[in-house]
Amino acid sequence: MSETVLRARDLTRHYEVSQGFMKPNGVVRALGGVSFELAAGKTLAVVGESGCGKSTLARALTLIETPTSGSLELDGVDVVAGAKADIRSLRSKVQMVFQNPYASLNPRQKIGVQLAEPLLINTDLTAAEREARVKEMMSIVGLRPEHYYRYPHMFSGGQRQRIAIARAMMLRPKIVVADEPTSALDVSIQAQVLNLFMDLQQELGTAYVFISHNLSVVEHVADDVMVMYLGRTVEMGSKAQIYGAPRHPYTRALLSATPSIHPEDRRVKIKIEGELPSPLNPPTGCAFHKRCPFAKARCQEEVPLLREVDGHQVACHFAEEIS
Amino acid sequence: MSLLEIKNLSVQFGRKDAPFNAVEGLDLTVNEGELVGIVGESGSGKSVTMMAMMGLLEGQGRIVADKLSFDGKDLLTISARERRKIVGKDIAMIFQDPMTSLNPSYTVGYQIMEVLKVHQGLRGAALKARALELMQMVEIPAAESRLSAYPHQLSGGMSQRVVIAMAIACKPKLLIADEPTTALDVTIQAQIMELLVSLQKSQNMALIMITHDLAVIAEVAQRVAVMYAGQVVEMGAVPGLFRQPVHPYTEALLSSIPEHSKGASRLSTLPGIVPGQYDRPAGCLLSPRCPYVQPNCRQDRPALSPHGEGAYRCHYPLLNKETAR
Repeated sequence: MSETVLRARDLTRHYEVSQGFMKPNGVVRALGGVSFELAAGKTLAVVGESGCGKSTLARALTLIETPTSGSLELDGVDVVAGAKADIRSLRSKVQMVFQNPYASLNPRQKIGVQLAEPLLINTDLTAAEREARVKEMMSIVGLRPEHYYRYPHMFSGGQRQRIAIARAMMLRPKIVVADEPTSALDVSIQAQVLNLFMDLQQELGTAYVFISHNLSVVEHVADDVMVMYLGRTVEMGSKAQIYGAPRHPYTRALLSATPSIHPEDRRVKIKIEGELPSPLNPPTGCAFHKRCPFAKARCQEEVPLLREVDGHQVACHFAEEIS
Repeated sequence: MSLLEIKNLSVQFGRKDAPFNAVEGLDLTVNEGELVGIVGESGSGKSVTMMAMMGLLEGQGRIVADKLSFDGKDLLTISARERRKIVGKDIAMIFQDPMTSLNPSYTVGYQIMEVLKVHQGLRGAALKARALELMQMVEIPAAESRLSAYPHQLSGGMSQRVVIAMAIACKPKLLIADEPTTALDVTIQAQIMELLVSLQKSQNMALIMITHDLAVIAEVAQRVAVMYAGQVVEMGAVPGLFRQPVHPYTEALLSSIPEHSKGASRLSTLPGIVPGQYDRPAGCLLSPRCPYVQPNCRQDRPALSPHGEGAYRCHYPLLNKETAR
């Protein structure tokens, strides 16, 4: 068992939103108590629809947001209670790759300058050493040395995502949080970028938190999968467990809603009605009960807790009966 | 007779002496009540083809075709006034982002009724009743109260339903859906696809589904055309084309989908990128990236050759090769 680089316990993040003059502020529980662990060199995929808290989780993990409650340990340092200097040093150990490489690169800076910036801020290397490190990383991600002097607009989408990945990898972070890194790319380019992610992980032993709504991409990259719905984990387990024997109705619905090249090979078929409820006013009991085809009276009243069924974690009252 | 017949369509942009062919030598036929998919990566000319057919490129591109006919009418020679009678009525289109295809300052009811007023001349109670019926057809809950809702009050999935209601308002013979589910979540995507397919069957519409997602096409389409850099490189029936692709590009596209390399640590990829405006190769457009490339591929551009019900555009098609599933 390799070392655990990321440990989250009951992580929550609430936002207060104004609902108008003289009205009390509403509370959005964007992240409502999420716990997980991630070992070095492994990939945890976070799956869910928009509004399920995936991106809030990413922001908490990358120290952009402080969690409202719960604990978060990155590389052995407690993010909430730890010393300021320790937290500062963490920032070089957690990096992020965003969905849209067009927006995440500065259009006015040359690629070389952008890639060297993390080194400039976090290390004492000289300019020549920084350039050498940048060029080394550029060759690892498959960019040519002459690209060093180019601007982002001179690259294609796939190349820009390679640059974004190179920038995240410059400091050899322990954890990389990738928020939908391939959803803006074409199919053939997506395959190239996914291969790059896998190669880098093997070479550098980086742990990934891979956020995606594309289940076939997740099946390719993940070791463990966490399915989220309205800020809570509904199911978590190894890739084989989630894809082979999904227990939560939502996981099953997601799997069957994902289009497939060979639709007749589909394992589970389940249809769900309706849309995601408002996070300002979530349903009582199980957040999923209004769309769930298996819902019973108990689901309206009692919030299901995450419990162990069949060796993986499921938050459903009737997980045993669904198979 | 087919409903839509396109023969040798080319769309050119830019200077006359150095034109850029966004679409080149495109043939496509769509029969009544048929669901045809068009797949391709960005920049392959999928959308431009449909825009050209609808006459939405006015003044920007030069459209050349041997034949461009819809329901017996020649769309090349038709006047603008006549075209307006067809477009929006007999041919309707749904775009990718529902939020930008609805007008934010009018209620969705008003926008649906506008279509009915212009094309069918409905007024008063009949107009409202038909709008309500359309809202119910696209399965919008509480349709009556939603008629007076503004687009920002609806979710993405609901807005797309409204757009579909507007598109089917005049019982079109042909509906073009340009990436109708790309902006939506997975479960909503499945709902919208199901709605489109059931409407297509119940109204006996022809439906052209443009998408970059091969899996979506594999699930619903009867025939599919694969486009690459402005050309149709392969055309065929579903699921035959997905089981045994003949063109190297189709094969590469299919094998780069993660679903196809389950258990493998690497995905198979097509090296390089789609050629752009200035770096299109002289021969076969795929030749710089093709794993099976031969010397003459770099000089001669292959023509479309028929193959079974479909066609392909390649000098060395993968005809005898069993493609492993």
